[in-house]
Amino acid sequence: MTRHKISLEEFHRMVEAGVFPEGLRLELVEGELMEMSPIGKRHAAKVARLTALLAPLVPEKAILFVQSPLVVGESELYPDLALLPPRPDFYEERLPEGKDALLVVEVSDTSLRHDLGVKVPLYAKGGVPEVWVVDLEGRRVLVHREPKEGGYKEVRALGPGESLSFMGVGIPVEVLL
Amino acid sequence: MLRHRFTAEDFHRMHEAGILPEDARVELVRGEIFIMSPVGKRHMAAVKRLMDLLFPLQQARKALLQVQDPLRLSPENEPQPDLALLAYREDFYRDKVPEARDALLVVEVADTSLDYDLNVKVPLYAQAGVPEVWVVDLARDRVHVFRRPAGEGYGEREALEEGELEVLGLKVPVKEVLP
Repeated sequence: MTRHKISLEEFHRMVEAGVFPEGLRLELVEGELMEMSPIGKRHAAKVARLTALLAPLVPEKAILFVQSPLVVGESELYPDLALLPPRPDFYEERLPEGKDALLVVEVSDTSLRHDLGVKVPLYAKGGVPEVWVVDLEGRRVLVHREPKEGGYKEVRALGPGESLSFMGVGIPVEVLL
Repeated sequence: MLRHRFTAEDFHRMHEAGILPEDARVELVRGEIFIMSPVGKRHMAAVKRLMDLLFPLQQARKALLQVQDPLRLSPENEPQPDLALLAYREDFYRDKVPEARDALLVVEVADTSLDYDLNVKVPLYAQAGVPEVWVVDLARDRVHVFRRPAGEGYGEREALEEGELEVLGLKVPVKEVLP
């Protein structure tokens, strides 16, 4: 007896065949379908704030995907935020993949272990060059750079008083905490 | 993060849409899709022997024999027992998937799957109220018999190496079940 691993193609066909109820938020994590927890107001507000801060890059320099699909290997994750290179079709023809992404941000309220233990390694495997994990409980942002198989070579923890920068946009860390 | 659980309805929709691999034997257990291990020659022979031994019940229209087809136990459980004896129906279940209450007997043949059969599937059959389950243990040449479902288990259970099994008045020698 082995648990059947659901492939990306099967997942997409299930969605088309109407297998899932409307409004169910699912992620495909290495062959397993995981139900995503509802988003709390603190989490939602941080994502909205980040979206506002990164908005000046759109649409000339980047496209912003908010809680939308990103394919990494055989997994389909829904990062809180993904910054992607511009495309005239806004990725309508095909879903963006890890190697397309410029930056991925996850805001962790209660999901820190899952984000660091499961999602960050998948982003590394999928070739996402940079991942920020906003750890709301720990009041810090973990910046991951230089993906290699299974993880990131460089991990830095930034706290209040420090600031992040991406494509010329500066973001004080405390704004996100 | 919770693992998503499928219902038997979802499972059938997937079958109809051709989503699951055609040739794979799959069952739904606690909302998850499991691929059943390929069976060996002794396993196949045991199923054939059982079919032969139980067939008189079908000829007499006392029951219908189902081999490795789905049996719906609950919205999240739809295993494919090796063999099930179902209440006789004129239409041979043309319009419905047989359910636990249709089952008179379920038989599982175990060569490598004994642990899974005894600890996962038997409790599911008990919970759904399947009145009798036989688990044919090919490794130890015996048949586990379960009767009187109560909660997640059976009130009556025995392991037979010889003697006779009995279902609907038909006597089945244990030695003849074991290939």
